[in-house]
Amino acid sequence: MPVSSHELIAGFAEPVAASQQVFRAALKVMSEPGTLVETDYVEQAPKGLDLSTWQLALSLLDPDTRVWLSPTLAANDAVISNLRFHCQCPLVDAPKEADFAIALHNELPDLAELNWGTAEYPDRSTTLLVQVPGLNSAPFWTLSGPGIEQTRTLSIAGLPETFCADLIKSRQRFPLGIDIFWCCGNRLTALPRTTAIKAGMTEPSQNDKETC
Amino acid sequence: MSTATGYNFAYLDEQSKRMIRRAILKGVAIPGYQVPFGGREMPLPHGWGTGGMQVTASVIGEADKLKVIDQGADDTTNAVSIRRFFAHTAGVETTEQTAEATLIQTRHRIPERPLKANQILIYQVPIPEPLRFIEPRESETRKMHALSEYGAMQVKLYEDVARFGHIATSYDYPVMVNNRYMMDPSPIPKFDNPKMSMMPALQLFGAGFEKRIYAVPPFTRVESLDFDDHPFEVQSWEEACAICGSDHSFLDEVITDDNGSKMFVCSDTDYCGDRVAQGFVGSAADLPIAEMETEQ
Amino acid sequence: MYVAVKGGEKAIDNAHALMRTQRRGDSAIAELSVDQIRQQLPLAVDRIMNEGSVYDPELAALALKQASGDAVEAIFLLRAYRTTLPRFGYSEPLDTEQMQVERRISGTFKDLPGGQILGSTYDYTHRLLDFSLLASGEAEVAPKEANALSEALAAGNSCPRVLELLNKEGLIEQSRENGEGDQTPRDLTREPIDYPAERGVRLQNLIRGDEGFLLSLSYASMRGYGDSHPFSGEMRTGCVSVELVPEELGFPIEVGEVLLTESEMVNQFQGSKDHPPQFTRGYGIAFGRAERKAMSVALVERALRADELGEEVLYPTQDQEFVLPHTDCVSANGFVSHLKLPHYVDFQSELEMIRRLRKEQRAGDEGMIEKEQEADV
Repeated sequence: MPVSSHELIAGFAEPVAASQQVFRAALKVMSEPGTLVETDYVEQAPKGLDLSTWQLALSLLDPDTRVWLSPTLAANDAVISNLRFHCQCPLVDAPKEADFAIALHNELPDLAELNWGTAEYPDRSTTLLVQVPGLNSAPFWTLSGPGIEQTRTLSIAGLPETFCADLIKSRQRFPLGIDIFWCCGNRLTALPRTTAIKAGMTEPSQNDKETC
Repeated sequence: MSTATGYNFAYLDEQSKRMIRRAILKGVAIPGYQVPFGGREMPLPHGWGTGGMQVTASVIGEADKLKVIDQGADDTTNAVSIRRFFAHTAGVETTEQTAEATLIQTRHRIPERPLKANQILIYQVPIPEPLRFIEPRESETRKMHALSEYGAMQVKLYEDVARFGHIATSYDYPVMVNNRYMMDPSPIPKFDNPKMSMMPALQLFGAGFEKRIYAVPPFTRVESLDFDDHPFEVQSWEEACAICGSDHSFLDEVITDDNGSKMFVCSDTDYCGDRVAQGFVGSAADLPIAEMETEQ
Repeated sequence: MYVAVKGGEKAIDNAHALMRTQRRGDSAIAELSVDQIRQQLPLAVDRIMNEGSVYDPELAALALKQASGDAVEAIFLLRAYRTTLPRFGYSEPLDTEQMQVERRISGTFKDLPGGQILGSTYDYTHRLLDFSLLASGEAEVAPKEANALSEALAAGNSCPRVLELLNKEGLIEQSRENGEGDQTPRDLTREPIDYPAERGVRLQNLIRGDEGFLLSLSYASMRGYGDSHPFSGEMRTGCVSVELVPEELGFPIEVGEVLLTESEMVNQFQGSKDHPPQFTRGYGIAFGRAERKAMSVALVERALRADELGEEVLYPTQDQEFVLPHTDCVSANGFVSHLKLPHYVDFQSELEMIRRLRKEQRAGDEGMIEKEQEADV
């Protein structure tokens, strides 16, 4: 699909500094899983992408990263044109081939469809970016593992139950696994494959004040 | 902001930085696992900190305050050289104070002052593979890591115990990270090993020639290998620092005359200077040598 | 003593100023220009380009000047510069059959289409010092006819490779299966090596490798440390055009030409269940007039194919995990020279350990003596 120039928006105003700052935010949440940070280095995102998803893409993607998009995003001219123009990343059809997968919360791929890496190269795995309708620190999930001194709580709205169950179960296959960035508005957190998740009792709320 | 003309901020081009950043994120997600990365040629030789420099160049931003130490000291020639490199190519503020630094690049030491959350410690690593001297083949060690097959290292350490009554490794002492990967802590003295465990700061490791990056996230368990009947222990000195009187820091031995007389001083110059500023004194406080030290 | 390590910054500045003065030498003697180096030390310049992985004789000559003639230091300078260059694209594969040959030697056939061309060489010179150079006399200029090529080559025809002549009879392995396209080689300077490395990566690694190390390894492989009985099928030197397909054009355009030396070695091979007996190949190519380098690469390259050809790997010369990571002069030099950096923390750790072990051993010995004395009483 060619780039539609009328859909193109500006990327980072100061690409070198902003890429570094967004990477540091990504590094912070990946090394302290469940921590929430906000990134504000762009005015707008292509229609269909949240600000934090777009900033991660600008900071981490380039011609060397193969990217898979969930169906709605893959059919979105604004998303594709801007990814092509700003990141020049090749888009792939099969999630297994993707270095990065970007998905909406209601059209998540099965975890099993993604690349989990191999025992000898567990790093050669898909990094998943999920756009969700709510992300806050309400006690829904209780997290523990590297990067968390005792426990940390996190609430993510709009996830299918089977996906949650698969994610919790995936920890048994460490060091294989999927590392996930969760994006909501300008807000961002991450759960690497090392984070153990204990599910809570109540459904996370989308109307919570703290929701992005 | 002054940066070297003709080069990008912090020397590396943006595509190289992105590649290194992605490797760092994977390293953080798989603590202790060595992520292969497309290591770039740096304008310093391999073995002189090119791995640490590539990590620093990819992590550093205008708001950072950088400290660089070699052997614990800010003023050793290689530390000076690397600090200048980033002051020149990134125009960032540098500091000698551990507490003030946001990024600390180090060769062979962890600072004495406990590190805090939001600080990042970047180690220069010459040989990242803890099993290298047991098995020189990368294809073999990769399998050993995949299978958690670390018996050969236990055997090697136990041979020490049988011969010397101790594990005779005194630096570059292997550790287990998060109970899964055996990791080379870089050639720090084993004195520093306990500081790695449950450290509030993020620890990143870069090996230039071997093209590997690895990481220990904050609050991650790092255990030095040992045996029930021969538990891990760190070095201790009968002497105290001649300058600040510290009896709990890592000491360097300094030969003071042709007869081989010696004194001991803190290897961490910032820590030592801080203690002197607080009024602590060592046995050599009245010697001219210590005065020259504090003048600087 | 402790104070001596202070003031590192000043010491570094002084050391570099001294180095620059030393490099210039006696200022009463005219300074060497980069052009002079490029024109009059071309073989040194070629080595810098090869191991520096940049085809730019001017920059290589500059590096050589800046490095006081130290090849390894000059290669390092060029490499560090290379890293910062943007990558515009990848060229089409070079076609060395289309080379404008200036020298071509086969050790396997007395005569062959295109002919043997001795060209310019140090071979067959008697290594007698030429004192006329000391007296700065003018060099003798070669007569025009010294440069004569065969009629066919002079007419601009392509020059077939010798080993392709063997191929017609099926006596030598194919470098690729019939109909198989060109594989895009991985770029060693952008991706780390995985073992076992494929042939394209091994060749890249060797071509960037230290000439002396490769020369010695190839020598070892012919002295019994490797099952190598090579013939030099062909060695040729000349210019080859470089073509690039720009995205927006979609067809190749010539962007320049490079001077290359190519070596193809023929090796015995016993054959196996799947393959009839036939010769195998070792391949080497290098920038400039770098015959020693191209031949060494071809020999070591062949030795490293032991595994894929089903030969027993018995010697370091056949072991890619021994050869490949240790060929690079920039890395090797960095690691050896890093021993000049302070290591006193680690050394202090070793001192503490050895003192403790000795003390315990002494205590143990004394304990034994006491026990023996007690037993005597």
